[in-house]
Amino acid sequence: MTPAQEDKLMRKADRIFGVIGLGLSLWFYLESRKFHYMTDFTPGPGFMPFWVGVILAVLSGFLLYDTFRREPGKEDGMKILPKRHALYRVGFIFLMLFGVLITMPLLGFPLTICLFVAAILLSLERYSLPKSIGYGIAYAAVIWLIFEYFMQMGFPKGFLGI
Amino acid sequence: MEIFEGLMGGFATCLTPYNVWMALLGCLLGTMIGILPGLGPSATMAILLPITFGMDATPAMIMMCAVYYGAMYGGSTTSILVNVPGESSSVITAIEGHQLARKGKAGTALGLSAIGSFTAGILGTIGLVAAAVPLAEFSLQFGPAEFFSLIVMGMLTIIFVGGKSIPKSLMSAMIGFGLGCVGTDIVEGKDRFTYGIAELLDGIDFVVLVMGTFGIAEVLVSAEEFMKVEPIKVKFRELFPSLGEILQCKWAILRGTLIGFIVGVLPGAGPTIASFVTYGVEKSLTKTPEKFGNGALEGLAGPESSNNAAVSGAMVPMFALGIPGSGATAVLLGALILYGLKPGPMLFVENADFVWAVMASMFLGNVILIIMNLPMVPLFASLLRISYALIYPAILLICIIGSYAINSGLFDVGLMMMFGVAGYFMKRADIPPAPMLLALLLGPMLERALYQALNLSHGSMLVFVTRPISATLLVISLVMSIAVGTKAIKKARSMVQDEQN
Repeated sequence: MTPAQEDKLMRKADRIFGVIGLGLSLWFYLESRKFHYMTDFTPGPGFMPFWVGVILAVLSGFLLYDTFRREPGKEDGMKILPKRHALYRVGFIFLMLFGVLITMPLLGFPLTICLFVAAILLSLERYSLPKSIGYGIAYAAVIWLIFEYFMQMGFPKGFLGI
Repeated sequence: MEIFEGLMGGFATCLTPYNVWMALLGCLLGTMIGILPGLGPSATMAILLPITFGMDATPAMIMMCAVYYGAMYGGSTTSILVNVPGESSSVITAIEGHQLARKGKAGTALGLSAIGSFTAGILGTIGLVAAAVPLAEFSLQFGPAEFFSLIVMGMLTIIFVGGKSIPKSLMSAMIGFGLGCVGTDIVEGKDRFTYGIAELLDGIDFVVLVMGTFGIAEVLVSAEEFMKVEPIKVKFRELFPSLGEILQCKWAILRGTLIGFIVGVLPGAGPTIASFVTYGVEKSLTKTPEKFGNGALEGLAGPESSNNAAVSGAMVPMFALGIPGSGATAVLLGALILYGLKPGPMLFVENADFVWAVMASMFLGNVILIIMNLPMVPLFASLLRISYALIYPAILLICIIGSYAINSGLFDVGLMMMFGVAGYFMKRADIPPAPMLLALLLGPMLERALYQALNLSHGSMLVFVTRPISATLLVISLVMSIAVGTKAIKKARSMVQDEQN
């Protein structure tokens, strides 16, 4: 990818963030209207969200304006979306993390950990199935021993009772 | 005398077997996690914070400070052997240190780095003890108006000095202030942004945000690629630089320490700027500038000392004023709140034993680190040979466990994951997460100070400009804003002229 193309992507990233910022500012502003802006002497609950919304709107506007004004190739870093294979890896980890959230109350803590580790090693890191499951069991055992057995932290239990 | 007595009391507390063990464990874990490529001290502390849950405040804070120093040491090792700096403050170490390592002087680079860090750590802690106490005593005069102005100045400095892009840093801070609004408001006791979710009534937990934006996000960035590192091998007998090499660097180490400490005290400046300033100074003073960039001993020792001294410097405003000067000290400040302590000048009055014990433990931590690091560097370096594929799932699991442990509920885990996703894209878009973190901590403090100041003055805004300390702080903020604004306008004008030409 040429620097000009990268710059185009970075400016696109800034534009996306600018739009998100504008959305957030609108949200803060609308929420602030549900509360008093001032009380007798002091700022009310709506004061802070109001100013957060206003300042965020100004900054987002500036960022958006800057993406149109900016000369290509300056002040740019990474682009917001990684390359396809990296996006796949990160996306898969995201999914697995949210999978942990959903499966933990059903399967319990140790089993969820075992599956999480095994799925990552098997799918992303190309470990063999026995190795992936082996590491999954080892991780689950060590973490269960440290946090549940020794530190007495209570984690959700699943249908197996563990 | 008062300082000496306080420090002696601190040593008596921190040298109990349990606290020494906590310092040792903190140094060990900090070094082991900090050595992992791509993980800086802030992320290391965020990941290890849950280990201290349930501990008393003093051993917990001793451990967290040891983790901080350990992570700095660990980061230097990775920078030198693998050329992957965990945080921007290690960039210079990576440039000069890795060049030395490639020339077969990895041991010398690691040894000099450890000696420089140790010297800076000890001298910096002396500076911290000497500066924090008078500053805390002075700040006892502060009322709500002064605290409001101080927080404004602190936030502006962090935004103006810390980030690459001021608008992006400001936006990050504003989002942090917005997140700080979540929960029960202090004025009327109304629920803001909670949408009937009981878990949000107490606000967004700092640990959830820090583990998401620093822990999960940094791991995700590192996990984007199949990471295969091949560290340069180092042997035990090579680890001690010659006396001549140490003497060659002695002034660089002392200059680095002084610059690092002074820069570190300024809110927002921190270890990164300290190391770059020191590198510039060393390059301008040397008779052999051509060696810089190709493995100059002074170019490594000076900045490495500087970034460690800046750590102690950054703790001065954190302990004395309750204002964190960097992302890493924000994590420490958040930890303080988590342990049930109230940061600020009253900390020295109400929890003097705690403060002295923590300060004394920093001397202990530095001694442990030099003893542990010099002989054990080959062992730590061998950690770099463990496949990252096996390490990052464990880090993610620790983050999940840590956020679960806050309230023994999955809500915080989900929230942390959302912040992890947001933090990842913020990193990709070059938006620094540190201002957001600081604003989450300082936002409620700012709102409370504003409320109290205006309540006391019956709504008169003049309270901020009629009180001398508050007025001075606001004038500094204004001057800083004008200077930064003028610079930005000049830059924009020159860019327009360039385009026209």
